[in-house]
Amino acid sequence: MIVCVAVVGHQNNPLYIQSFTEADDALKLHHIVHCSLDVVDERVNNPKKSGPLLNETFLGLLYPIENFKVYGYLTNTKVKFILVTTDLDVKDADVRNFFRRFHAAYVDAVSNPFHVPGKKITSRTFAERVSTIVKSFGLTSAV
Amino acid sequence: MQNTLLNQTKESLQLSPKFEVSACGVGEFSVGHNNSNNRTMKGNNGYLVTMGAPSPRSRPACTCSNRPGSVRCARHGYVVPSERMKKRVASKEILRRALTPPPPRRCEKRSEEIRFFMNDSDTTQLATTYDKLTCVGFISSIVVSMRNNTSLARKEERHIHMGGANITSSLLVFVFVVVNAAVSMANFLAQFQSIKSTSDRLVISVEDVSDLWPAVKPAFEARLPFKQGSLNNKTRNPVLVEKLPAEFILTTDSRLRSRFPQEQLLFWFREPYATIVLVTCEDLDEFKTILKPRLKLIVQNDEREWFIVFVSRAHPANDKASAMAKKVYAKLEVEFNTKKRERCCKYDIHLPESNFWEDLESKIMECIRNTLDKRVQFYEEEIRKLSEQRLMPVWNFCNFFILKESLAFMFEMAHLHDDALREYDELELCYIETVNNTGKQRDFGGADHGDDQAALLNPGNKALTQIVQDDSFREFEFRQYLFACQSKLLFKLNRLFEVASRGYSFIISFSKSLALHERILPFCMRETWVVTACLALIDAILSNYNDGLMAPDIEKRFFHLLGDLYSLARVKFMRLAYLIGYGTEIERSPVNSAALSLLSWPKPAVWPSVPADASAEVLEKEKVILQTTSRTKPFGIQRKPLPLEPTVLLREANRRRASLSAGNAFETFDGRQGITEGSGFDASTRMSPSQKVPPSSIPRTNSSPGNFDGSIDRPMRLAEIFVAAEHALKKTISSQELLKSLSSSEEFEQKYLELTKGAADNYHRSLWKRHGVVLDGEIAAVSFKHGHFDQAAKSYEKVCALYSGEGWQDLLAEVLPNLAECQKILNDQAGYLLSCVRLLSLDEGLFLNEERQAFQSELVRLAHSELKDPVPLDVSSLITFSGNPGPPLELCDRDPGTLSVTVWSGFPDDITLDSINLTLVPTSSVDEGAKALQSSTPNVLHPGRNTITLDLPPQKPGSYVLGVLTGQIGQLRFRSHSFSKIGPADTDDFMSYEKPAKPILKVLRPRALVDLDAAVSSPLLTNERQWIGILVRPINYSLKGAVLYIDTGPGLEIDDSHVIEMETYAGVSENDDNKVQKDGAQIDSLNYEKKVERLTLHNGKIEFPNWASDTPSIIWVLVRAMSDMLSRGSSSVTTRRESIVDAMRTIALNLEFGVYHNQIFERTLAVHFTYPFYVTTRVTDKCNDGTLLLQVILHSEVKATLTIYDAWLDLQHGFIHNGQTEGRPSSSLFPLVISPTSKAGILFSICLGKTNGEEDRKQQESILNIKYGISGDRTIGAHPPVMDESTKVDGARQELIFKNAITLQRPVLDPCLAVGFLPLPSDGLRVGQLVKMQWRVERLKDLDEKEVPEQNDEVLYEVKANSGNWMIAGRKRGHVSLSPKQGARIIISVLCMPLVAGYVRPPHLGLPDVDEANVSCKPAGPHLVCVLPPALSSSFCIPVNS
Repeated sequence: MIVCVAVVGHQNNPLYIQSFTEADDALKLHHIVHCSLDVVDERVNNPKKSGPLLNETFLGLLYPIENFKVYGYLTNTKVKFILVTTDLDVKDADVRNFFRRFHAAYVDAVSNPFHVPGKKITSRTFAERVSTIVKSFGLTSAV
Repeated sequence: MQNTLLNQTKESLQLSPKFEVSACGVGEFSVGHNNSNNRTMKGNNGYLVTMGAPSPRSRPACTCSNRPGSVRCARHGYVVPSERMKKRVASKEILRRALTPPPPRRCEKRSEEIRFFMNDSDTTQLATTYDKLTCVGFISSIVVSMRNNTSLARKEERHIHMGGANITSSLLVFVFVVVNAAVSMANFLAQFQSIKSTSDRLVISVEDVSDLWPAVKPAFEARLPFKQGSLNNKTRNPVLVEKLPAEFILTTDSRLRSRFPQEQLLFWFREPYATIVLVTCEDLDEFKTILKPRLKLIVQNDEREWFIVFVSRAHPANDKASAMAKKVYAKLEVEFNTKKRERCCKYDIHLPESNFWEDLESKIMECIRNTLDKRVQFYEEEIRKLSEQRLMPVWNFCNFFILKESLAFMFEMAHLHDDALREYDELELCYIETVNNTGKQRDFGGADHGDDQAALLNPGNKALTQIVQDDSFREFEFRQYLFACQSKLLFKLNRLFEVASRGYSFIISFSKSLALHERILPFCMRETWVVTACLALIDAILSNYNDGLMAPDIEKRFFHLLGDLYSLARVKFMRLAYLIGYGTEIERSPVNSAALSLLSWPKPAVWPSVPADASAEVLEKEKVILQTTSRTKPFGIQRKPLPLEPTVLLREANRRRASLSAGNAFETFDGRQGITEGSGFDASTRMSPSQKVPPSSIPRTNSSPGNFDGSIDRPMRLAEIFVAAEHALKKTISSQELLKSLSSSEEFEQKYLELTKGAADNYHRSLWKRHGVVLDGEIAAVSFKHGHFDQAAKSYEKVCALYSGEGWQDLLAEVLPNLAECQKILNDQAGYLLSCVRLLSLDEGLFLNEERQAFQSELVRLAHSELKDPVPLDVSSLITFSGNPGPPLELCDRDPGTLSVTVWSGFPDDITLDSINLTLVPTSSVDEGAKALQSSTPNVLHPGRNTITLDLPPQKPGSYVLGVLTGQIGQLRFRSHSFSKIGPADTDDFMSYEKPAKPILKVLRPRALVDLDAAVSSPLLTNERQWIGILVRPINYSLKGAVLYIDTGPGLEIDDSHVIEMETYAGVSENDDNKVQKDGAQIDSLNYEKKVERLTLHNGKIEFPNWASDTPSIIWVLVRAMSDMLSRGSSSVTTRRESIVDAMRTIALNLEFGVYHNQIFERTLAVHFTYPFYVTTRVTDKCNDGTLLLQVILHSEVKATLTIYDAWLDLQHGFIHNGQTEGRPSSSLFPLVISPTSKAGILFSICLGKTNGEEDRKQQESILNIKYGISGDRTIGAHPPVMDESTKVDGARQELIFKNAITLQRPVLDPCLAVGFLPLPSDGLRVGQLVKMQWRVERLKDLDEKEVPEQNDEVLYEVKANSGNWMIAGRKRGHVSLSPKQGARIIISVLCMPLVAGYVRPPHLGLPDVDEANVSCKPAGPHLVCVLPPALSSSFCIPVNS
């Protein structure tokens, strides 16, 4: 289950963070997302170790934590997408697919002329779209 | 299952006692030695294996005690000669026979045939017969399929060819058939382990043929370990090995002798890698007869790598002996060296050759290398074969393991750690695959006491035999064992980073495995294991760590792995602590919540229940629970604490209890109490115990221990859960240290701090600042709890800086109140204030309004009361400001203004500011220190948007942006740096600075704002009161309230008694045109309504009326140009001499305008004044009677019509009017109207005359008086002068007098006498020729008596001539008589003779007595006459002949 998705701006400032847990404990997910930026930073700064392709946007698994997994994705504008999931056996392809769709949604959201770049994304449409994507996560692979 | 092996060889049966070894108590085995030629093996499944032996003939075994004797050596196949024999006493023939080697075998070229007979009856028989016999060995080359009998029956006979197998014969001597997977080489495991522990270096055997070893041993062993050698790794690439340890062992040593052949193969790695044959010989004969055959015998054993060291004992001084030694050595070389390889070297005991040791070492190395290669190849081959069978059911992991590990161990001994590591890696992979693939339920392991302590670094933790189960190893122990071996190698390779990274992932994956088997493991085994594993790994790594050995980027990752390890241990440790009730000690921070609430509870099959005698502990715990009050947050912040548990522990524990069926009783209880929401811990602590117990259960009385017996039926209470968990953990945990750490909350805290610090430090070193700083925050929480506020504040500050720097407000809101609290306690007022401000500036949704109000009141209270000194504070995030949207305010240079600025207040309530100042920053120049603008509006900021206005003093030209907003609240001096922004105040606006600052103010460069000019350009009348028009033309600038100072220059005075008129300027300007177009006709007409206003002059200034502020207007000022000079006429023949300067007057104007009269415009106007006429005179006619007609021409000088009413002339001395006109022209002439710029003339008839009046004499000039009137317009030029109100008569003709001075001159020429030069003779003058010059003097008129001297009739004359030119003959001077009457004439003749030729001036007749003015000469001026050269004359002739 995806518990949290986040968009983090290029100055590492949170642009959008949405948790999908029932309990009122989003703060811990904030913490996880925030800390994962350390890993993102490291990968971005050491591109030779981050992957074979320089322009690879998908950063892969950031955290080999026991209980949850954090995946990262970096756009060309250095905006980061972070995904926290409690599924322990996640296929990379699923995550890639998720991020691709998420990226598309993000691009649409920031293309809104009333959106101020670098500001938090407040679009309700975006939120709805994200929750749709989150709900369909993992299902696409079954099809 | 029993395994038997039948080895049917004669020799083996004969010699079996020698070879029998009890193997691990499992059974006995009997093996044949390598000379057996026919082997038949039979397993219990009925496989009879016969094997064609490679050797055609059997060799008898021999003993090898290295003593002389007659028994043949089992190893060497020969009898060791006795000392006596060595001394060549024995018969050579005997020796020859004894030492004859068997014919060499060519096993490679033969194929071996293995035949299986599958016969069930045989199996039974053999099984009973060889019940106890177990034969273990390699069956690697045999592919067996024996799943069931039906399939086996079909495969009655099977031939397996091993053609081409490159295995030396001896390797195949023993064939082991593992008939069933259940029996394996597991029996050898113990032996294997002991071998591994004892042999740790390569063995080099020394064949001491000539008893030389004691003599050379010290020198040989001194070379150990070998400094450097080249070995081949598994991929046959040379690898340099340094410090290779090795051991020399005599072949006769019991360690080598006692081994059994099958062991040799199994544990081949410990067999000698090289054989040094030490020989000496001093006699050629002896060499030939004894030594050579013996050596041949020794070295014929092909699989050994050998070489011969010939030791020369000859003393160098003994030439003969050395020579002999050399000879023998030469023979030896010939005999044993081949082209490919030198196998001999010579060692001089007394004087070793310089390169001997290098030679020796290289030879040893070569041998080792070859042996190693061979063995590696063998092992690989075996492994490969085993690998091929991996999917067979019969496949046995133990065999594979022993082979693989043997190989690995061999690599390790050879210091080829990399290869060893690779073997272990492959082994691990293979193992994991085995574990995963076989569907069989295996014993996981880990059930022993002490298993909770991770043994991942201790390969010898448990004997391998203990962990073997069936055909494989128990996962729990074996994976740790493998990792231990790997890490050992990695430590040897000094690859700490790899240890850390592998270790971390191993722990993670192992923890997952533990989770899978959690039901069978002890309670919380998994957590305990992870904690101990992490700590052990960290310890091991840190003890091996040397600073500066790793590359920086690797080191970074190394440290973050260490940090991960610490943090993992920390999490698991916290989980354990929580389970036994230290949950209250754990800070409910995001980091802890993230770690713990996502970590599932332990899932034991049955949750531990409270031991019977633990009621006291339960009570104790209960008390603790009740006493714990959840920490109140500063500022009374109400916030739901973050969970530390994935689900409510109470529920989880009860659900897992055996006595309760899952979720029945407790579910109801749960639903009723509603514990599920939020933190179970807190929820349950808040409830009273009686509430927790469902009504159906037995009511609990605190003191009765009997209740605990009944507790099996009712849900456990939290305290009970804690106690139960504690007891269970005590059973699980074997590590005393961990137990101690969990024994009390103080111990827990100490360990917790240690782990947290470890993690934080390592994260910091790895530059994972977020991880590190957040953990610092956890340390701070503990410090805070213990009152170390200083440390806590420092750490909290770091955390806050981290969060606020990147805008993670939600997280910041969690920490910031704590920081504020610390600062409050520390009395760090500035910090506390700043924290309050930051709290206020956080997102509004993060705190309740009351909380925010609390922040504000705290801030205000502090600012107004407690602070002694002013505290500067940056409130950029709280109070933001911007200019108003739209274009910037534009001001003209030097204009002040008011600036309106929007200020957003982030305070929840109104806040009163003592002052607000704002600086403007010029965008262009940087040097300008911006001055603060003071707010003019009351300084109460409402929440949200406010508008304040600021007075703006004049600024320099340029554009300005808002600078800093400063202000004061009590003693608090705040400043805000936020830049302009449009739109509502986004709370995270202060994050983004990317927006360029918008100019708020533009001060234009200086330009003309107004223009003052004279309205009239044509001259005005001098000495009359004239209107001067000053045209005021504002240039896009309002002249509201403008004041004009007028200062007249010299010669001009303002008539200040009179009003000043101001009227709109009707002249069409461009602006007006625009207005017409813009506003339409109506406005147009309004605009053109002419306004006239009368103003007065006060102290030389005029105040402008309002209507004149925007439209051009004219100010009419009455002035009078003073000139006391009379206008002067001039003669018409002379040109008029213009004197502009005289006629100019200046008016200095000073216009003060602008809102604060700050704008000043200065201009000096030049106004042209003039007299109405310019007069020229001309004498038009001069009558004979002396009457002169004087024409006076009047030029009109002004643009106005002048009317002359009268004109008269006051004549000067010497002139008189002619006739009776009194100097006036005839009256019919007047009035004479003169149009502008036209002329008029008046004739006066005057004559020279004398007046007697005394004053007339003084009068040097004639005065022309003209009485005139003027009709003109002031807008054009001269106009009728303004009369005083008193004197002015309406309609009366205004007559002005114009006076002009005219200078009359008497006629200049008044000749009485005329002197005429009579013409000269026509033939011209010649030099030397007398000529008569004649002048005629004629009296032109009668002389005045006065002027005529006494001699009336005589005129004095004088001839003047240049004596150089003329010679005068006659009187030059004299009187001639001339009648005084008019017309009398006389001719004066003088003889002259020119002396020079050319044009010369003739002599001149002058009349000295008569004024030159009265003499008229003709010609009037000097003239020249032409004098010819003298005529030819004889007197001048010069005789030709002379």
